[in-house]
Amino acid sequence: MLAKIGDWLDERFSWREVWAAIFERKVPHVNWFYTLGSATLFVAINQAITGILLTLYYVPTPDHAYDSVVYITTQLPFGWLIRGLHHWGASAMVVLTVLHLLRVFYFGAYKYPREATWITGIILLLIVIGFGFTGYLLPWDQKSFWATTVGTQIIGLAPFVGDWMLRIARGGRDISAVTLARFFGTHVWILPATLAALVGIHLYLVIRIGITGVPKKDE
Amino acid sequence: MNEQEKKKYLDEYKKEKEKGVPFFPDIIFKDTIAALLIFIILAALAYFVGAPLEARANPADTTYTPRPEWYFLFLFQALKYFPGKLEVIGAMVLPGLLILLLILLPFIDRSPKRHFLNRPFASISAFVVVAGILYLTIASVREAPPPQEAIVVDKAAALYAANCANCHGPSIDVPVGTDLHQVIAAGTHEGMPAWGGDLGTDEIDALAGFILSPNGSAVFTKYCAVCHEQPLVASGNPVELQRVFDEGVNYPSHEGIEAANWAESLTDTELNGLLNFLAAPDGQRLFVINCSGCHGQAVGYNGTEEELTELITKGGQHLDMPAWKGTLSEKDMDALTSYVVDPAQNSGGATLFGQHCASCHGNKVPKAPDKESAIKIISSGGAHITMPVWGDILTVEQLDALVQYTFAASKGGGPAAGANLFAENCSDCHGKSGQGGLNPSRHGDIIAPISSSEYLKTRDDATIRNIISFGQPDFGMSPFGAENGGALDDEQLDAVVAFIRNWESNPPAEAPAANAEVQPETPAAPSPNLTSLTGAQLFTIACARCHGPAGEGDVGPAFNTKEFQSKLDDQALFDMISYSRAGTDMIAWTDKLSKSQIELLIQYIRTLDPNYAASLTYSGRVSAILEANCNTCHNPEKLRGGWDSTSYQSLMTSGDNAPAVIPGNAANSLLARSILGQGSQMPPIGSLSQSDIQVILDWIAAGAPEN
Repeated sequence: MLAKIGDWLDERFSWREVWAAIFERKVPHVNWFYTLGSATLFVAINQAITGILLTLYYVPTPDHAYDSVVYITTQLPFGWLIRGLHHWGASAMVVLTVLHLLRVFYFGAYKYPREATWITGIILLLIVIGFGFTGYLLPWDQKSFWATTVGTQIIGLAPFVGDWMLRIARGGRDISAVTLARFFGTHVWILPATLAALVGIHLYLVIRIGITGVPKKDE
Repeated sequence: MNEQEKKKYLDEYKKEKEKGVPFFPDIIFKDTIAALLIFIILAALAYFVGAPLEARANPADTTYTPRPEWYFLFLFQALKYFPGKLEVIGAMVLPGLLILLLILLPFIDRSPKRHFLNRPFASISAFVVVAGILYLTIASVREAPPPQEAIVVDKAAALYAANCANCHGPSIDVPVGTDLHQVIAAGTHEGMPAWGGDLGTDEIDALAGFILSPNGSAVFTKYCAVCHEQPLVASGNPVELQRVFDEGVNYPSHEGIEAANWAESLTDTELNGLLNFLAAPDGQRLFVINCSGCHGQAVGYNGTEEELTELITKGGQHLDMPAWKGTLSEKDMDALTSYVVDPAQNSGGATLFGQHCASCHGNKVPKAPDKESAIKIISSGGAHITMPVWGDILTVEQLDALVQYTFAASKGGGPAAGANLFAENCSDCHGKSGQGGLNPSRHGDIIAPISSSEYLKTRDDATIRNIISFGQPDFGMSPFGAENGGALDDEQLDAVVAFIRNWESNPPAEAPAANAEVQPETPAAPSPNLTSLTGAQLFTIACARCHGPAGEGDVGPAFNTKEFQSKLDDQALFDMISYSRAGTDMIAWTDKLSKSQIELLIQYIRTLDPNYAASLTYSGRVSAILEANCNTCHNPEKLRGGWDSTSYQSLMTSGDNAPAVIPGNAANSLLARSILGQGSQMPPIGSLSQSDIQVILDWIAAGAPEN
């Protein structure tokens, strides 16, 4: 029965071909360092799921943000777990992305024919940092407020356009309800969409070209 | 890499792959284990450490040391090495170059060598960058100031953050002379909401203190908040505060607390800030705390601002009361002293008081224990009450604010000037508190109260001003405006209007309901200048002559019988009072009394019912009043003030300041105080009707029975 359904679907989706291309492809013998990339992807999925759950209760306005986070953390069943996973997952994302980058660098995996994979990876790193930067403001506690104050000040240091960029980031002179709205919008719409697209390209390239083996001493 | 090298690599990679393993399950297995491990670590962190959450964001808290999140710390630290104009190099140029370098890396390093030992330059450079970032991060963490020990939160700052900062930003520049408490409690017309409903007096005090003296709030948090967590402010009374600092460890409640010699341990600036926080330099509030005990709502003052400053600063030295013996006639002296002993019973002295005493005493009548001492004090004068030397007690800022307020209030348009003008021109007919009374120019006519919230809510300033200026000839009121031949110029008219308007937020001291509560059984003598007309007083004026002072019956039938009470329902009684009755001397009161006054009368007559007490139950009368007036906000969903008035159980037990009702003790029951307008006026949209207030007061006094 199952096989019949499989056949039926295969006629239409050619999924066996896709499955073979992705899962049955052969890869060189690799070590544990090579799990860093997939681990990053795993944490990214963790962030997406917990993030979606958080938005169900989170209110992105200065007068309610803090209270809603308190509610999530203290009242909502397993809210502490969801928020805890998201919070620590954020740091894990940065750590894993950087470690993954170092693995690729030291194993010479950015070289021909994987230059494009590397560049999308660097952009993904920037997006991860953007996630961290925008997500930090959302709880609207002292740390968020002041960390964002300092962070946006750094943007303002840019020559010529600094002041302009600062006002775009903050939505005005000061950190306000507009800043929170912008950061929230960026955090839950713009960055995830970009991330999803780039992860798609990144993975396509990884599967199409294949991962490098561990370089030998004479390589 | 040239084409040959590329081909070579691809060939070798192909061979390597063939010797390799299938992605599924080998690689997936490893990945799953790594993912599982990471998930366990994350879940453990979430469980054992949790996601931290600090205090609510407070843009006003300049003491908070701002730090970015940990993965930006290296950048934050790097900035320290690029001071001034060079900052942009650390903040932008270097990170920008690093990112550019990373992106271009595959095109810069195009050698076919892959093992890291075979490309030492790249490997070492990357190592240096990583080590540098690690070093900067660690250095930044180390340089971080130790976490603040004090867990004590600046509550006033937190209140500010929660309620004000979103619109006002980190601080508010308050113009001198603003009645800050009033603005916070009542809001403004420019979109600021009234906070009086959400915040208690304590909290508004704390907010005003914080806004006017944020440093003082910090000092309070540092030194005082450990013990004085509640209330937010130790005491808003400057005289008491002065004692705290003068007496140090000897101050009664500070005994044995070594640190309590605050006058020594705090710097002058800290002390000043602290005092300004605890009693905010808000003139109106300071006047209420410091002056109104003797001067009432306001003082009429005619000197210059400098003189006033000196007067207040030096205090008692100037307060010699003249000896009135000889100035006042025997008769006037008698009236005045009687009035001072008991203003309620001897209203004849009110005019005299207004003429002779109010300029110093304001509208606060000094209390004399008996007539003899009153005669002695008034006759001989002298400094019988010493005004404190405020210059020693108040800070410069407080003194400034107080003088500004008092001066402004006593001058143009302020209620103080209006009070005197009202006493001179209006109180003869309208009563000292605008409570109305018999109309001297039209026999049998009664002047309705003008100080009731009902009256004031339905007339704007312009209307009241016109009435005063043009008079109401139909009712016997002559024009008072100068342009209509009266005595008051424009400024004075405004002052009187302001004084009258002031009753809306500060109902006259002798609130009608308060009197009614004390003596519902023994109505006051028919003297229109006493209080505004309660049902009891209307009864005395209109009914007692024929029906007996206690409704026991005389020419007319008795009211205090079950027969009478059960025979007539309210509507029948209303008709009875409104229209004359053939064959009796009963007149048609509808000419003399307003509809609401007749209703008041009926309400009062009902209290004469021997069964009245029996009807005073929650299920009997109280629940209906609560339902109509309170339940909209005080229900299980909205729960304003934590109070739920929808059921007997909840109304007796719930509330932030529960219990709202103390059976048998109306004077101290929050519900009674609120509907009487003592503290915060409830319902906020306007007072309950007198009869409803009476029912609730009597109900509480009767032990607040349920059935």
